[in-house]
Amino acid sequence: MVAELLRRTWAMTWKDVTVELRARERVNAMLFFAALVLFIFNFALGPDREKLREVAPGLLWLAFLFTGMLGLGRSFQAERENECFEELLLTPGDRESIYYGKLAGNVLFMVIAEAMILPLFAILHNLDIWGLLPSLGIVAFLGTLGFSAVGTLLAAMTAHLRAREVMLPLLLFPLTVPVILASVRATDAILNGGGLGEVGHWLKLLVGFDVIFLVVSPLVFEFVLEE
Amino acid sequence: MGSWGFIGLAYGVASVALIGYLLFLKGRLRGAREEFAALEREGGRRTR
Amino acid sequence: MAPLSLAARLHGGVAVLLLAVGIFWGLKVVPPDAFQGDVQRIMYLHVPSVSTAYLAIIVTFCASILYLWKRDLRFDAVALSSAEIGVVYLGITLATGSIWGKPTWGVWWTWDARLTVTAIVFTMYVGYLMLRAFAEEPQAGARYGAVLAILGLPAMILNHFAVQWWRTLHQPSSLLRPGGPSVAPVMLWPLVFNIVAMLVAYSYFLLERVRLERIRHRTAEVRLKRGRRG
Repeated sequence: MVAELLRRTWAMTWKDVTVELRARERVNAMLFFAALVLFIFNFALGPDREKLREVAPGLLWLAFLFTGMLGLGRSFQAERENECFEELLLTPGDRESIYYGKLAGNVLFMVIAEAMILPLFAILHNLDIWGLLPSLGIVAFLGTLGFSAVGTLLAAMTAHLRAREVMLPLLLFPLTVPVILASVRATDAILNGGGLGEVGHWLKLLVGFDVIFLVVSPLVFEFVLEE
Repeated sequence: MGSWGFIGLAYGVASVALIGYLLFLKGRLRGAREEFAALEREGGRRTR
Repeated sequence: MAPLSLAARLHGGVAVLLLAVGIFWGLKVVPPDAFQGDVQRIMYLHVPSVSTAYLAIIVTFCASILYLWKRDLRFDAVALSSAEIGVVYLGITLATGSIWGKPTWGVWWTWDARLTVTAIVFTMYVGYLMLRAFAEEPQAGARYGAVLAILGLPAMILNHFAVQWWRTLHQPSSLLRPGGPSVAPVMLWPLVFNIVAMLVAYSYFLLERVRLERIRHRTAEVRLKRGRRG
């Protein structure tokens, strides 16, 4: 039963990955946008090193989140454009594997983008983050997972909507404020020399958020895909 | 603005909001009832 | 299609009466606060508003689950109505909180934990209303709204913790502190009374708004039966 779920999930993820590999639209757009965000915020905030250092964790996550938003917005685009939503529903098997498959794809693309944004960020702010990579990686992964867990569900919901480019961020950000806050605060502590131990309660919040929404989202996903 | 000024402002805003919503609601109810009545008259049938 | 019945009129009348008594009690009868002076009287408006708003959200949450489970449109009517009224009360909460803050802390807005959470929740439920308005058809809107409302409650609770850990400027919750309320008794009773008065007003709004939604449902049904496009 679980093997069946995993197989269907993998099929969904693999489909999205191969589509992306052929066109490379999504990741390219995400990377370009992230670079844009990083540069523009640096210009907007001025050259003061100290000030930039203070807001650096927030800037990093702004880049991650806006880029993630871009990717999420496109995650059901293919299905919508080609009117494949009905086909998705016809595939035998429960809706949950569709959700997990899409989620895995979204997390994968977002992590790839983050992996390329992080070095750029470190260079721009002259930060030596080699030793901090494991801790930063854990926080980034947990935050990405939580953000994508809710984002995948909302992306499916807003795919049909009028004004969907506005609706997705409008709905997603209030729901994911805990993830955003926790990720930024944890990243801040790590960049300032604290270990993962210092950020215990933020990590707990991240894990709690992830667990709750990884359980609830697939359960309600079927109601989004109906008819 | 003295204390009572702020109090007046707060209660004023709340009153405007609640009374405004009430009037809005009443207006929509009136409109919906008229629409339904017109529909029933047109069809000459009872729905239930 | 009952015209405005006696019961509804009475309900509305009682709400107005209770609110009037509550306002009078809070503004005239109660002595001013020892520290904050008269401005603290805004509490008799602000706290009932936030209590009512949160109740409205819980009602929307429960009604949404019931709708997805039973598919009875009446539950959806309650969910939508309660959300709409909740947005109104959240707005009043934010406005009164801000107005209370200006003479108390000197600024119109501080990133105070509870006001910030209220602002986030306000955005959430405005989003809910927009989601339903922009859905391709009302049944889809009902489903999407229900899903969003179900996500909204855990999100709201997590928001509370996250923002609380992030800032703590607000007075610690006087009513819900373990060990009992720390508001002086002479202020506690008018506060509770005003909360009850506001809840009665909410129930009146809810019934009227649900009535509106049900009329709309029936109108749509009739149109459907006649094969005409709404």
